[in-house]
Amino acid sequence: MDINLFLQQFLNGLSIGSVYAIFALGYTLVYSILGIINLAHGAVFTLGAYFTYALMGGTFGFNGLLANATLPVKLPFAIALILGSSLAGLVGVAMERIAFQPLRRKGSDPLLTVVSSLGVAVVIVNLIQYLVGAESYTYPAGAYGSLPASINFGSPENPIPIRSVQIVIFVVSVVFVAILTYFINSTKYGKAMQAIAEDPTTASLLGINTDGFIVLTFFISSFLAGLAGTLVASSVSIAGPYFGIAFGLRGLAVIVLGGLGSIPGAVLGGLVIGLVEAFVPGEYSGYKDAVAFAILFVMLIVRPQGLLGRRFIQKV
Amino acid sequence: MKKSTALTTTLITSLTILLTGCGGASNSTNTGSNSQTQSANTSGAIPIGIAFAQTSNVALLGQEQVAGAKIAEKYFNDKGGVNGTPIKLVFQDTSGDENGAINAFQTLINKDKVVGIVGPTLSQQAFSADPVADRAKVPVLGASNTANKIPEIGDYVARVSAPVSIVAPNSVKAALKQNPNIKKVAVFFAQNDAFSKSETEIFQKTVKDQGLELVTVQKFQTSDTDFQSQATNAINLKPDLVIISGLAADGGNLVRQLRELGYKGLIVGGNGLNTSNILPVCKALCDGVLIAQAYSPEHPGEINSAFRKAYSDQFKKEPPQFSAQAFAAVQVYVEALQALDKKTKVNKLALPQLRNDLNKQILAGKYNTPLGEIAFTPVGEVVQKDFYVAQIKMDKDGSQGKFAFLK
Repeated sequence: MDINLFLQQFLNGLSIGSVYAIFALGYTLVYSILGIINLAHGAVFTLGAYFTYALMGGTFGFNGLLANATLPVKLPFAIALILGSSLAGLVGVAMERIAFQPLRRKGSDPLLTVVSSLGVAVVIVNLIQYLVGAESYTYPAGAYGSLPASINFGSPENPIPIRSVQIVIFVVSVVFVAILTYFINSTKYGKAMQAIAEDPTTASLLGINTDGFIVLTFFISSFLAGLAGTLVASSVSIAGPYFGIAFGLRGLAVIVLGGLGSIPGAVLGGLVIGLVEAFVPGEYSGYKDAVAFAILFVMLIVRPQGLLGRRFIQKV
Repeated sequence: MKKSTALTTTLITSLTILLTGCGGASNSTNTGSNSQTQSANTSGAIPIGIAFAQTSNVALLGQEQVAGAKIAEKYFNDKGGVNGTPIKLVFQDTSGDENGAINAFQTLINKDKVVGIVGPTLSQQAFSADPVADRAKVPVLGASNTANKIPEIGDYVARVSAPVSIVAPNSVKAALKQNPNIKKVAVFFAQNDAFSKSETEIFQKTVKDQGLELVTVQKFQTSDTDFQSQATNAINLKPDLVIISGLAADGGNLVRQLRELGYKGLIVGGNGLNTSNILPVCKALCDGVLIAQAYSPEHPGEINSAFRKAYSDQFKKEPPQFSAQAFAAVQVYVEALQALDKKTKVNKLALPQLRNDLNKQILAGKYNTPLGEIAFTPVGEVVQKDFYVAQIKMDKDGSQGKFAFLK
């Protein structure tokens, strides 16, 4: 592999890996607090992309209940991104109230909550298809202003073109990871969330509003899923209601690889999976998923706690 | 608390039932006529099964097919149906996989008691589901199954969709006509789709037959959206022509990423990209993509004019090939039933006999459809005269586009 191709694939890997990272952070947050995997996370990823599309004045096709519908607003991409992701966050809150809280209050087995989240995912995906059909949608032209389609990091003779959208995605992802890391480690609210993750009963006895922080966790988690969905959709397109399914699976691989419940692990896992996928040779490029999951399989055997996870110790 | 939990559970259950009913299996049109056709001695509507993908990532194509079939149902019933007896299309969702297609076929055959089936959407599904119908001696007409060896699945399997081996090479020849200096070709295909695998073999053979150099073959999955690494690999080999076999969403995204990474040569798309659903995906960057066609909206003839008008009135755009082929498949059933009815009243025939006679009649007839005049070989392969190549022309802002047919 020549140096140009190496650099190009490295940057490709960083870009997609950074999206995996912010997507997986949402998974990790919920797992940290509740000890469950929210399988509806991929569906919320899809929803975030649709919300942003609608807020940018995108028109829906002719197959759903909202055929030819357009919102009476046409927001710039940056604002639509934040609002769209926030709406995804609110869906996460509603989801927590409807599908998670009742089971939690009954003290149900965590497996039931996982199944419940799977049900929510199916409902969301079908609801999207019912409302807006199965068509693909692309954000209106000029989402990123007057940025060129690609930027050449090489010379005219040996070009290393990188799509501008990939660079934007990387930068936005890094910014949000930094914000979240600061929030978790350096603010009162973040520390309260860490306390709940450590021991919810003791946190509650110390006067921390556990229920409120669970809602906040779901909001942040779903916000990040919506953000990732929008960023990916701005790079490719919204490939229909099933857009987030593959991401949902890959997100699972990322958090297990990085270490369940570990925020730095989610970031590292995302980058590793992104880079590995980028360097799968062309003739095997259709097997990117298989390679990613093979690495996961090896990791589970060699280091079950993941790259940055804590070893599970059972006291007897 | 108990009350709110109960309410929540009820809400979720209701929503699930509602949404599964809406987006999932949509056996929407015929429930009442099952018993009528089982004995086949009543004057009820004649049920024809339609098994297309209305959900999954294949729904992009399936929804176009549903649109074409529904237009045909109304058109032929308005014209008196089968010598006065209306037809009734019974829709089952195949989703995008083989199991979905098999389930849809079994339901249509055993529960809905249809006289024959149009579908499924993908060749991949046809290889699994068509044998089910063949064993039950129920005629199947593929409307979009263009992989090799589809009609050979069984005596009861035929198709109105011309095989890829005939259609695909036309677009490569059109590309060479536009740029005779093409030397190096990069090929991309979706390896998880039987049709795309079959089509890419034809494309690769055409490339070699034309004396061109195949510089790389890149694979992907129909569910993929990110093609950065594949596109980068290919562009570094400086191809003059890129050929893509995939479906609309993945194909459109691949076109977009190739262009954004600086590829300026011609692009040929396969049959899976032959849908206006690709236009919103790659927008302005779709411009110039060449796609071979088995249908042209400009095809002369009364029935195509009627179909084109009905489609345009409803959807405000030109009809795509998948809709035209679905219309043609329903038309073949209607006209075969009409011919059969003139010999023996179809409502007097027992269902197994009707299915058997209908299968023979389908293969014996000639049909003037929106695709032009078609007939069938004894195996069930379509015999079609006219083929086309279209080039996508987009407005500068990428908001609107069309398939412009090359002379």
